[in-house]
Amino acid sequence: MSIQKTLILSLLCLIGTAFAQTNHTNSETPSEQKEEFNPSETIVHHILDTHDWHLTDIPGKDENGNRIYHPVALHLPWFFYDQGFHFASGTEALLEKGYVPYHDHLYKLKPGVSTEEIHIAHGQVEHFDPETMADSDAHVIDLSVTKASLQMMIVGLLLLWVFISIAKAYQKRDGQAPKGIQSLFEPIILFVRDDIAKEYLGEKADKYTPYLLSLFFFIWFSNMFGLLPINSNIMGNISVTGALAVLSFILVQANGSKDYWRHIIAMPGVPVAIVPLMTIIEIISLFVKPFALAIRLFANISAGHFMILSLVSLIFIMGKNGESVGGALGIMPITVLFTLAIFSLEMIVAIIQAYIFTLLTAVFIGMARETHDDHH
Amino acid sequence: MEIILPQLGLFFWTTVLFLIFFVLLRRYAWKPILSALNKREEDIANSLAEAKKARDEMAKLKADNEALLRQAQEERKKILIEAEEMGKQIVSKAKTDAAEAASKEMEKARQQIEAEKRSALAEIKQTAASLAIEVAEKVLRKKLEDKNEQEALAQKLIGELSQN
Repeated sequence: MSIQKTLILSLLCLIGTAFAQTNHTNSETPSEQKEEFNPSETIVHHILDTHDWHLTDIPGKDENGNRIYHPVALHLPWFFYDQGFHFASGTEALLEKGYVPYHDHLYKLKPGVSTEEIHIAHGQVEHFDPETMADSDAHVIDLSVTKASLQMMIVGLLLLWVFISIAKAYQKRDGQAPKGIQSLFEPIILFVRDDIAKEYLGEKADKYTPYLLSLFFFIWFSNMFGLLPINSNIMGNISVTGALAVLSFILVQANGSKDYWRHIIAMPGVPVAIVPLMTIIEIISLFVKPFALAIRLFANISAGHFMILSLVSLIFIMGKNGESVGGALGIMPITVLFTLAIFSLEMIVAIIQAYIFTLLTAVFIGMARETHDDHH
Repeated sequence: MEIILPQLGLFFWTTVLFLIFFVLLRRYAWKPILSALNKREEDIANSLAEAKKARDEMAKLKADNEALLRQAQEERKKILIEAEEMGKQIVSKAKTDAAEAASKEMEKARQQIEAEKRSALAEIKQTAASLAIEVAEKVLRKKLEDKNEQEALAQKLIGELSQN
């Protein structure tokens, strides 16, 4: 990617984030004192998955003539389980059913609490106290398609579109040199096939190559999307990386050879007294591997977003939340420069983390498949 | 912190979506792409092997040709040498033959000469004898009356002469 594009993307990212910040700080009712800017809360809020896909803010004026920003967001419908599956199109529909969406959590309203007490602004519930107003006995399982899930669908559809068109190009240009997007992705496909699949899985690599390719491109594309403004940072959600790690874990165990299980249950060639200890260690390592996979990817991707958002927050901290324009302008060049650097780094991290996740999955499958002739 | 707490909904949707996309990608993208790549690699490997085979064959052919050429040259040399030798032989044989023939001719001539000489001498002797007889006859006729007696005497004398 050219420097110009990176620059434009970074600026877009900055602008997008800045708008979101102003929304949070300025959309309060004018009667209230401007709330103190809390960077950690804002950053975590931006990294967390949400039911409202915030697109932009439109500047406007309220009835008193104060400048406010109207958020433009896609309010995703709610789908949840609470003694049966429920579906609700938005906040109002949820309230009618007796549920309250607050800070992306779904609470069942305590019997006796009136919905009148709940204040709604821009389709969002404000000032709800789960401690006193929610039914603590209810176990609401939120299964909604959130921003990250919808983003994954978009990434998946893009993957399908890109790679099916590449597959068609291979059929159409049979026996010819690759061209266009085909030649862009061919080296990467070959890299995954030769340096990940064949390297660690040997003869049987062909069986696993499609899974590894899907995993690699899914993570990579998700990471790249996460770097774009407006979009969700998919792999910065532990639930997403956790799901992928669980799939890898299942795949590894499903391919475990007899030797693999024997090494876990009773390590051969080890003094009998140590065998139980080894078994405990092996069982722990069995679960540590996918856990580490999930944590590594999640931490790397969210860390990048933390860094960028922290740098952007500097503007608001130095600008004292709009009071000191000089301070904000002073820190701006440093923020832009550092954000650019982190952004470039994140684009490398995007592919490196996809590579590491795929590589380790291949390595674990390879280790599980291994049959030992020699013993320790 | 909330950020490290897993959300069941997102976990569920990730699993479902990833598996759906994996199945679709495998069916419609990876299988055709990977088979096309494998096919192309095989084609390239085959082409290279064929090119190598052709090159080897070419080299072999060239070597064969060279060997043939060398052999032909050697043969030519051999033939030339042989021809030269044969020529020499022919010349020397011709020389010896000629010498032999010459000496034979010479011998023959000598023998002939010898024979001629002998016959000539015999004739001379004959002639000389008849001349002597004639002379003696003429002499004796006048001297001797009995001709027969005289002839016998003369014959005896000639015989004595020839013995000498």
